[in-house]
Order: sequence, then structure tokens, then C-alpha cells
Amino acid sequence: MSVARPATRRLISGRLAASPVAPCAAPTPTTAPCQQVFAHQFHSSRQLSARRRPRFANVRAADMGLMSEKQIDDFTKEKFPQYTKEELDHLRTKYSPAQIAALEAGEAAINPRDLTVQGRLRNDPYTIPYIDDFAETQPVIDKRAKNKEAPDPSARFMNMDEFTQDLIMWADKFQVGDVTGQLKTLVDFVPEEFKKVPEGNWPGDVREEAHKAFQQYLEAEVKRQNEAKDVDDVGGGPTDADILQYILERSAMTDNGRTTNTSLAHALPSKVPGVAGLYKKAIDPADMGLDDIGVYQDLKRRTGMSVVEILRLQTKQLVDRSVANQTRLGKVRKTSVMYCAGNGNGWLGIGEAKSTEPSIAMLKARLMAIRNMQPIRRYENRTIYGTVEAKVSGTVVRMSARPPGFGLRVSHRIFEMCRAAGITDLAATIPRSRNPMNSVKAAYKALLTQPDPEEIAMGRGKKLVDVRKVYYGGAVY
Amino acid sequence: MGIASITNACVHLQNAARARLGLTSIPNTKYNLRLALAMHRAGLIASVTRGGPRPPPPEALLATETEPVTFENVATRRLWIGLKYWNNQPVIRNVSPVSKPSRLVTAQLDELSRVARGLSVQQLKGLNLGETMFLSTDRGVLEVREALAKKVGGLILCRVS
Repeated sequence: MSVARPATRRLISGRLAASPVAPCAAPTPTTAPCQQVFAHQFHSSRQLSARRRPRFANVRAADMGLMSEKQIDDFTKEKFPQYTKEELDHLRTKYSPAQIAALEAGEAAINPRDLTVQGRLRNDPYTIPYIDDFAETQPVIDKRAKNKEAPDPSARFMNMDEFTQDLIMWADKFQVGDVTGQLKTLVDFVPEEFKKVPEGNWPGDVREEAHKAFQQYLEAEVKRQNEAKDVDDVGGGPTDADILQYILERSAMTDNGRTTNTSLAHALPSKVPGVAGLYKKAIDPADMGLDDIGVYQDLKRRTGMSVVEILRLQTKQLVDRSVANQTRLGKVRKTSVMYCAGNGNGWLGIGEAKSTEPSIAMLKARLMAIRNMQPIRRYENRTIYGTVEAKVSGTVVRMSARPPGFGLRVSHRIFEMCRAAGITDLAATIPRSRNPMNSVKAAYKALLTQPDPEEIAMGRGKKLVDVRKVYYGGAVY
Repeated sequence: MGIASITNACVHLQNAARARLGLTSIPNTKYNLRLALAMHRAGLIASVTRGGPRPPPPEALLATETEPVTFENVATRRLWIGLKYWNNQPVIRNVSPVSKPSRLVTAQLDELSRVARGLSVQQLKGLNLGETMFLSTDRGVLEVREALAKKVGGLILCRVS
């Protein structure tokens, strides 16, 4: 290492002090050195001839005039001027007082001289990708400026009088002859005491005189205006473009033709004349808040049941399968669902629905099952009449009545159907195909096609007596 | 002909009922006549009239025969059966012959009583709701409940429901 430590340096200095390189102010014989010693004198590399100069010449700021205070001030005043009074006034029309205060605070926080001296174009990663002071709107980049006022919330459609007034105001812009609305009316030609009285209550002679005077006045006015028209017929009336603009752009509201940036229409009033009362709210207070979405409203109308009664019905999903419609664009998969619904007291229905959404298919099937409910004939409110058999496709369901306490010795889907219908004693077999949907359909068909013993007896002219209801006073359970 | 004419008559009555006929005819045999009268007692048919090849007039249906049977006309006699309907449905829906000439099916009294209560005995299925059975006994052709009342079994002819 070639760098001398302080103690060493002092030692070396003392050694060199005797050498006659440079005279010292006072020839002190001891250790105090006052001579500059360069470390590179001790380096092995060759010493540079002079001070190192850059390969490319730079220009000094002072040479460019940047360091001159006057030039800085001039540049600052030119490029970063203060807001003028007019500009501030204009800003006040655009911004709220709080925003103006924030603007002024921001202006005061930055010295314009610093912008001149230190302001640089950024090239860091977080630079905004275009050079802008956001003073102007660039349509490609920026959203459209919403510089119009909000719509008038209290505006309403004009009534006939307001519309007439508005039309007159518009027409007066294209003044031909006298300003409209300044002509005298019939009331101006009656004595003072009748001016407040309706025309029908005027005495006959007063009315006749008034009409006569009014007619003369109108004729004179027409004549006068025609003469004035002849003198300078400049055609100052509205052009077709004006009329088109009136039709298309004139606001029909009482907002004085104010235009806004929003496309939202004004909200309709709560009671539109002619429409009020036609549209009822979906929520029926009789539902007691059980059907705010309105799922059961159609069912309610069709069945006549209340929502409480509908919700009290027993429903059960019997079959759930996935089906697909093969199209050019691929398979459209849906869920097919079968439901049964019953009131537990002799009514049963089955419903089938498909949807791409399983929950919707279930809801539809359930509502359809409730809609399809029909009365099922039951013997003693617990079993069926006789033995019935029904066939759907290759599925045969055979059902037999059974004594009390027998229970439901049936397959699980028929079990759910029996439970919904309120049948407690039944035997059923499905001897052939056990397709789920067909077994449900066949069971429903079998339940609906039970024979009626009374009808059979009447057809044969016989008297029918159920001995179970005769012996022991009918107490045979 | 024996049991074969009974089989034919059963199938013909079922066909006639399903075709919604009001009046039909079966061959005039003693066996057919007894079966028809048993069905009439059971209320399954409206009338049984012996007539000629043409249907008897409606007023003649109240009589048992339109004209006396003679040697001359006996070959052309037929039994005219009036069919019954109730609530737009035939009273006879199904008539299925049980015995056939190649296989006669008989039932004794105890078997008959079980069948009448809806229980099956060997090949003979129990009677269902609204179903009845006709059998030929030595007391004539009887409905199953008549046979039970008279405590006789016999040859089972057909089941009607």
C-alpha cells in the first residue's frame, strides 16, 4: 500500500524538510512542515502533464446566461407567469371557492424561479407518458369534459300557458313588426268597471261597442303592419333551420332550455296523469313479506292459494338429470328436474322443467308441480282403491291397496309421492323397466286412474255397502 | 261347440262395448243364453232378446223373444244383447275368457271363496275392485257371489270388469 499513514507522513515530511524543493516561510529545523506533498509523487505510474480535461468540451451555465439573475427572471416571467385578474375571474366561474383556494395554495407553494432553474423533463419510470399540463382536453386520451350544469331537478314539462309563453319568447327573437303580445285585447275596449268581469256578464250594448271598437283596432293594426312590411321587407322571420332547431332542440321542460352532460332522463313524477294506479307494486301485503321477489304471484293467481298455503305444500325433487342439446356450436347442457308437490291430504302434482341453471330448473319444476296438483282418490284417506296398473313406455307400475298399518312398501320416488299425497298404506311393484322419470309418471298415472266403486255400482244398478263401515259401527281400525 | 262359443261370445261382447255399440248379437246357444242371463242378473248388460238375423225393434227388447222358436227359424235365431253405458263409459270394460277348450279351469268352493276375497289360488288371480267372474255349475251359469251363496264350485268361464 502506497498511502502513508499520518505518523509516517509526518516522518516523511520531516525527512523531506531538508530538501531544497521549496522555501518555507520560516526555516524551522524541527518537524513542522509547511510544504504541499502530493501522494502521486510516490506512485509508480507516470505523472500527468497537466490537470485532466474532459474529452468533450462542456458549456458553462454562466456562458449560456442561465446563471444571470436577470435572464432567469425574464425566462420565468415569460414561461411561468402569474394568473392575471381576468384569468382568476374566469376560473372562479369554473371552480368552487374551495377549489380556487386550493389552486392558489398550489401556485404559492412553488416558486416560479425553481421551475426555471430546477424544472426538468422527467424520465423516471413513473413519468406520465405525455407531456401535458392538463390545460387542454385531448379527445383520444381524456374523457369528455362535463362542463355543463347538472339537470334541474325541479324541472317539469310545461303546461299549455308556459308553452305558449315559451313559443312567443322564441318567436320574438325573429322580430317582424311589433313585438307580439303587445296588441290590445277585447278587454281594453270596455269601461273600467267591466274589465274584471267575464265577457258573458257584460251588458249587451257594452259588448257590442267593445267588439266594434276592437274590430276597428285590429283592421287598423293589420293595415299599419302591412304598410310597415312594404317599406322594409327584409324577411327577418325564422328560417327553416331555425324552426328545425326549435323542434329538435328546444326543451319542453321548465328548465329554460338548459342542456346537461347527462343522458339520464328526468325521473317521472310519482303520479303521472293517466298512468297513476295502472301499475301496482309486486309486493302484496297479504303475503306478509313472504314473497317480496314475486316468485309465487303467478301461481297465486292460477291456483287461488295464498303464499302461506303454497309454502306449506310438501314438495320433493324426484329426478335430476343432465341433458344436452347438440348444436353446430357444441353441446348446450341443461339440467332436467322433476318435482312432486302435494298438500298431504289427497292432492298431488308432478312438474318437470329444464334450465341451464340447476336452481332455476328446480324452481320452475316445483312451481309446475304445484300448478299441476290434482285430487287423488284415497280409500279411508290412507290407501288407494283396489289394484291399479299404469304403463308409460316400458315402465309398468302396479299398485295395490293395503290394510291399515301396512306402511309404504314402495320404491323411494313413489314413497315421496305417496307422502306428498297423504297415502300411508300402499304396495307397489315396478316389474319391468325402472326408468326414474317413467316410473314417476306411471305412478302418477296409476294414482289418477283408480276405479270408483260407487260409479261401478251405479253402472250395474247395484247397491254398494262398504262392510268396513258397517260392522262394529265402522270402528274397525 | 261348448266352451268355444262362450269364449267367442266373451271376446265379442268386449269388442262391442269398446266400439260403443248399443245392441249386438251372439249365437243362439243354451250356454250363451245362460251366460247372457247371468250377466243380465249382474247388471252388466241391459237386455237379452232372442231374435232373427235383423236387430229387433227397440220396443221388442223388453220381451225375451220377438217370435216363438220353430223348426223353420231356429237356425237363424240369435241372441241380441243390449249393452250398458254409464257416464259415457261402457259398463263392461274387460271380458277375458278363463277356460278354453284345450284347458278347462275349475274352482272348488274354498278356492272360489278365496278368489272372491281377492286372494290368488294357483293360476287363478284374485278378483280386483269391480271385477266379477262367471262360472258354470250344476246349478246353471252363476256369478261368483251367487255360486258362493249356493255353495257350489264349477267351471270358470270368464272374468268381467
